[in-house]
Amino acid sequence: MSYDVEIVRQGLNALFDLKGKPAAIQSWAGDVLPTWPERPNSRSGQDAVELYHIGRNHWIARAALDQEVKLGEHLRPTDCPADISIVQVSDTLTFFRVTGPHADEVMSIACPLDFHETEFSEDAVTYSELFSLKALVMRCKGGFEFAVEQSFGDMVEDYLSRATA
Amino acid sequence: MLIPCPFCGERSESEFIYGGPVGADRPDPNTVSDAEWVEYLTVAPNPLGPVHERWWHARGCGEWLAIWRDTRTHDIVEAPDDSK
Ligand SMILES: [Zn+2]
Repeated sequence: MSYDVEIVRQGLNALFDLKGKPAAIQSWAGDVLPTWPERPNSRSGQDAVELYHIGRNHWIARAALDQEVKLGEHLRPTDCPADISIVQVSDTLTFFRVTGPHADEVMSIACPLDFHETEFSEDAVTYSELFSLKALVMRCKGGFEFAVEQSFGDMVEDYLSRATA
Repeated sequence: MLIPCPFCGERSESEFIYGGPVGADRPDPNTVSDAEWVEYLTVAPNPLGPVHERWWHARGCGEWLAIWRDTRTHDIVEAPDDSK
């Protein structure tokens, strides 16, 4: 069967992996990061920077690639104190958008999550698996967005096109 | 099988990697007999009934957790009363 979806592989994003107690990261990063997403596997965003709460004391900050230098100057990954960890990971993930009327059906081929809105809300973001690969999954306008390790990008693109052909 | 992750809630078994049985605490090798030491090192619990297992939410939040699973039904169950 064929599906009514649009699948778009995106360019790079500015990504920073943040680990440590929220208060410690906040006091180091100042106001460059948005309000902290409190609930596990939820996201927050203000201005250009989004923050994903993807594990215990573990976050990902995401912005457009042209914000990478500015964000890096604020977060100063190489100088941060020993009780937190900040690592620039922009080139480790490749993002895809799956949008359109059948976006949830296509996502369900690849991923075991329940994508009904009651289970996977507007502000949900979580690591799960896509075609058995670890993937960061969230909603976007008109569908879903996910990221896999950069080196699996071509393979996942191929899987998606075969699954929806 | 759905496995309850303390961070994520219930998730598909496929997101997890089995981390082996929860074994006995490591004895002091200087105070136990050779037989007891070998027992600790090499003999994994293999009950007919609830067994204590570690799982790693590897394709998820990265949390390690321990569950009791009944080997007769594969159901995840409460810890038995005599488990502590
Ligand atoms: Zn988890």
